[in-house]
Formats: sequence, C-alpha cells, structure tokens
Amino acid sequence: MAEITTLIQIFIWGLTAGCIYVLMAVGLNMIFGVMKVVNFAHGEIMMLGAFTSFWVYNYTGINPYFIMFISMIVVGIFGVIIERYGFRKVLGTGKLNEIFLSLGLIYIIQNLSVKLWTDDIRKINSPFSSMTLDLGMLNITYDRLIAIGFTALILISLYLFLTKTDVGRALRATSQNHEAAMLMGVNVNHMYMLSFGIGSALAAAAGTIAAILTPFNPYMGTISGIMAFTVIIIGGLGSIPGAIIAGLMLGLVQNFTIFYFGGAWKDAVAFVLLIIVLIIKPTGLFGEEH
Amino acid sequence: MKNVKGNILIILLILAAIISAGCTAPSDEVSDKIVVPNSIKIGLVAPLSGGASSTGNDMKQAAILAVEEINANGGVFVKKYDAKIPLELVEGDTQTSPTEGVTAVERLISRDNVVVLVGGFSSGVTLANQVPAVGKVPYVITGASSSQVTRRTDINTSYFYHYCSTTDDYSQPILQFFVDELKPLVAADRDLKLALIYRDDAYGKGVIESSIAYIEDNDLPIELVAQEKYPGAETDFHAYLTKIADAKPDAVYTVGFVQDTASIYIQGQRDVGLNTVYMAVECNEDPAFYDLLGEWGDGQLLESKFAPYAPEYTEMMKPYKDAYLAKWGVMPGMMGADTYDGIYLVASAIERAGTLDRSDVNNAIKQTNEPEKLILMEGGNIAFDEYNEISPRIFIEQMFWNNETEELIPVLVLPEDLKSQDFVLPDKYEIGG
Repeated sequence: MAEITTLIQIFIWGLTAGCIYVLMAVGLNMIFGVMKVVNFAHGEIMMLGAFTSFWVYNYTGINPYFIMFISMIVVGIFGVIIERYGFRKVLGTGKLNEIFLSLGLIYIIQNLSVKLWTDDIRKINSPFSSMTLDLGMLNITYDRLIAIGFTALILISLYLFLTKTDVGRALRATSQNHEAAMLMGVNVNHMYMLSFGIGSALAAAAGTIAAILTPFNPYMGTISGIMAFTVIIIGGLGSIPGAIIAGLMLGLVQNFTIFYFGGAWKDAVAFVLLIIVLIIKPTGLFGEEH
Repeated sequence: MKNVKGNILIILLILAAIISAGCTAPSDEVSDKIVVPNSIKIGLVAPLSGGASSTGNDMKQAAILAVEEINANGGVFVKKYDAKIPLELVEGDTQTSPTEGVTAVERLISRDNVVVLVGGFSSGVTLANQVPAVGKVPYVITGASSSQVTRRTDINTSYFYHYCSTTDDYSQPILQFFVDELKPLVAADRDLKLALIYRDDAYGKGVIESSIAYIEDNDLPIELVAQEKYPGAETDFHAYLTKIADAKPDAVYTVGFVQDTASIYIQGQRDVGLNTVYMAVECNEDPAFYDLLGEWGDGQLLESKFAPYAPEYTEMMKPYKDAYLAKWGVMPGMMGADTYDGIYLVASAIERAGTLDRSDVNNAIKQTNEPEKLILMEGGNIAFDEYNEISPRIFIEQMFWNNETEELIPVLVLPEDLKSQDFVLPDKYEIGG
C-alpha cells in the first residue's frame, strides 16, 4: 500500500491534468450547447493558444499567467472568425458538412502552424518554476497550484457571466431553445459567435497552462482534443457541470491508473470509463434526455 | 512446308540478331560517345515533416553540407566516365510515418533513379521503408538503432548498412557506467537500484530488452526496482515518476526522444522531488534537449557518440561545427553527423566502384575500410562487420549548468582516453531519490 503522501501527490497530479481537460471540455460544451456543432479542431485551437502565449512571452517576457488572458482574447477572436466565416456557412446544411469542416480545420491549422513556426519543441518558462510550497511531507510546485487556482477563477467567472449578466442569460436561452430565444429578441447569430469565442478562449487557457507545465509543439492538441471529447460524452453533451466533474474525474482516474496499473492503461481507462458511464446512463452523467 | 521453312528462317534470323547483340560489348565501354551523367543522385531518406522533423532537418542540413563540400572539389571521380561528377541530393520525406516512408523510398528508387540511399530515422519507420530497396539499391542507414535493420531474416539485408550505434552498442556502456562509476559512490556494499522508464514502442522496448539481457547475462550487481513504459505522445510523467520515486532508485535510466526525456528530467526533479541521477540515450544529443533542460540538466547524464557541445575531442569537430553553424545558424545534432559521414562514405564507395552501377557500389560499400570521420570508431577505421554494422565509440557526457552564461555544457566522463573529468554526483543527489 502506498504512503498517504504519495497518494496525495497522485491526487494533485490528477487534479492538474483534470484542470486542462475541464477547460477544454467546458469550451467544447459551450459551443455544442449553443450551436449544436461539434468542433473536432478544438485541440488545434488549444495549440494556437499555447503558441500565442509563447510568442507574446518570447517578445515581451511578461509573466505567462498574465499572457494567458491576452492569449484568451486573441484566440477568442480567432474563434469568432472561424464561426462567422466557417461554421455559420454550413450550419443547418447537414451534420456531415459541419464534421468535415472541423476535420479540415485540424489539418489546415496544424500544417499552417508547422509551416509558420516549424515543429520544434517549445517551452514557456514560468517565473515560479523552481518554487514549491513545502507542506512538510509533501512539496507542491507553485505552477500546479496556480494552474488549479486559475482554472477555478475562470470557471467561477464563466458561471457569474452566464447567470448574472443579460448576455449570459441570452446565451443560456439560445442553448435551451433557439426559436424561443429569437422570439424574445435574442440575436442568435451573435450568440453563436460569442459561444465560439468563449469556447476558443477556454481552449487557449488550457493550451497556455499545458505549455507552462510541459514542452509542446504544433501536435500538442491531438490527444487533448480526443480526451476533451471523451470528457463531454462522459459528462453529458452540452452540460457544463458535467464537463467539470468528468474532466476532473478523468484526470484523477488516469493518474491513479498509471500509478497502480502502468502507463499502458492510461488512455484505455478513459474509454473504459466512457463505456461504463454510457451503459449506466446513455446520455452521460449530466446529459439531458431528449 | 514452304511456310514452315520461312518461319524457321525468320526465327533463326531473330535468334542470330539477339545472339549478336549479346556478343557485343557494352556500348559505353567501346563507344566513343560515352554520355557522362550530369549528376550522381543520392536519395536522402529522412523525416522532414511530422513528429521527428527537427531531427530530419538536422540530417538534411548535414547531408547538404557534405554534398556541397564534395561538389566544391568537382564531385566524385567515376572511372567509367573518366570524369568527376557532382553529387545531387534528392530528398525523400518519410513524414515520420512507416507508410509514407515506403512511398518516399519507392519514389526515390523508381522515379528519381538514385544510385544509393542514405538516412533513415526511427527503427519502426526504417524497418518498413527499407523493404522497397531490398536487393536493388544500397542503403546506408544512419538513424535507426534497432539491430533488426541489418539482422532481420525476413528479407535479404545484403544491401543495407548500419552507420549508427545499435541498441546493444549503447545499453552496454550505459550499464557498465552505472556499475563502475555510480555504484562505488552510492551503493558500494549493495546492488545498485536502477529504475527504467521508456517509450512503449519498438525502440524503447528494444533498448530495454537489450539492457535487461546484458544485466542478466553478465550478472551485473544491478537491481531493477521499477520499469515504467509510457505511450509515445505522453507529456505528463508525474504519476510514472511518483511510482518510481516510491521504489527509491539510485538512478533513473530513460529511453525516449527529446521532448519526453527532457520532461522526465524536469518533472522528476522539480515536481516529484526525485533528486537522483538521470541517464538519457543518444538520440537526445540535440540542441533542443539542452535548451529544454536548462538548469534541470545540471549534473545529469547523456549517452552519445557525437558531442558537439563538449570540449573538442577530434580534429574534424571544429571545422564541421563552424561550417554547419555558418551555413545553418544553429548547432549540429548527432543524427546529422551520422548522415554527414554517410554521404562521404557513399561518395568514397562510388569512387572505388568506378561506376554508378548499384551492385558495384554496394560491393564497394561492403569493402569500406577508411579512417573515421565525425563518428569515432573502435580501432579508428570505418569498416562493416558480418552484419554490415560499424563499431562506433560510445561516450557518456555529464552536463553542467553555467550560471554566468546560462548554458548547459556537457563534458565527457567516459571513455577514459577522451574524458575531460571524472563523473561526480549531482549537487542535489539524494540516495534513493
């Protein structure tokens, strides 16, 4: 039996990994909830967030956690453009068109990134990289704590935005019923752009945190994108609380699986979890019956 | 009857024409009009895109440098044409993928009609893309360490040459280093506790299997306290390293590529607090590895056979480094050095063959016996053994962080005759991590 400090350490690693999954999955669910569109290129948007932070950091040397917000704005605007000139054009013309558009975006964004920035491995140096919080038997790096703290901050801000502002309420209304929202005077097209922008900004935050914690290159989004899809299916399509719970759960389960059963089971366990949830509740943990 | 006689006559005439054509000596030999080719095409097989493209580009840049140097002297003298002919490098991008690699090699052979192939990175990719070249085109493999590329029995390997170290070549000195240098310092009166962490692919498994076999066959005083394998795309090693730390190893032996190995070194020390000795394998001898590690590489180890950052240990190092830096603006990596040597090796073989016939060139490569170049050889000469493998000398480098220049600089701590200093334990080293 492992010592309790070891288990706490694994718990913290799982929580941090879970934070990245949560930010990715909540962003994906924002887009799906409002537009009913699945963006398979979400992992590549995350990668753009990492690179935006990297270049701003490289040229300015500003604290990368502050840069994260710049990256969220830049990539959020990029998301709005993608929605306006990409997904909007094919919306309602058939699911296959939406799927192939997002699959095409994966290759376009990835190849363009390699062309522009090469696929060299990059890193963002955190000013806190050598600092740890000493808890006696256990040391936790500041970067881990900051990653967890920022994720919480972003999610709380999102919750307040969605529940306490008129625009947030309009977004939720569009998510629940497009026609009713339109009848109430909500500009649904604006809500589409906004949801895509917020979803992309959240992916950019995930990308920046990932880039601060580990080296990265233009292929970083592939696995994260797949895991984000797993998370939203486990949590329930369109459910933000579901994405949060499932994201944290997946991070924890994967890390404890590595510890007890080895790395070969890390990805497999995600799909085992997915199958178990779907057998018990086919709409996902927090998914609604339609 | 008349018709039959007529047919026989026609057949005899055709046979006579064929026989007389066969009796004629090759036209090139006797004709006054020998056409001298504009160039000698050499196919470069490398991952110029995809996950390993930084290594592929190093190979390409080194190959271009070698070709330009040779062409600056007029090219390669080919006796058959009584002329010097310039080399022409034709790129075949494997895209770091076995299937794309096969297509690239097929194209180099059938469309570009190359005389010889040089390159090949990643064992999995190379084991696939060598198949189209079987028995047709000599292939000097400079970047795939699985010994299977020249020892496999499912295909004829007589046209394949292994111009890089095999997994056996480097796992043995690494383990011997642990026993001879590290054990006396940390585990003088017991077995050395070693943890292994490796990529879950043909390369990682190959190195680990070879290492375990060497420990068992030689009854080395090493106890394997942890063996963790990870998927190739892994970036988060915290859980793996926490498990390893739980086993309290005296050293961690990593088998991975630049990104994963650097992450293991950093996450192990910075996040998990596993302050031990880390050893990496030679494919990490790359500028990116030093950049990524930074101060976290201080006191840590790297196995290699080409050390451009270490104090110069061979005469060829400085001119090569200077030329590479001047042309490409970056430091050279190890896979490029293998490929640079590979280009010179095939140029020399073509000259000795005196023709551009692939079979003759193959025979000339097989008979290579010439002084070492960038990659140092046991005995000082490049020669291929019964398995078409060379015998490169293996180094162990220890890296040190320079606070003033903010650079990670390696020094050789093995072999004895080349080393700059003895191995010392890293400052932060703790027995059992």
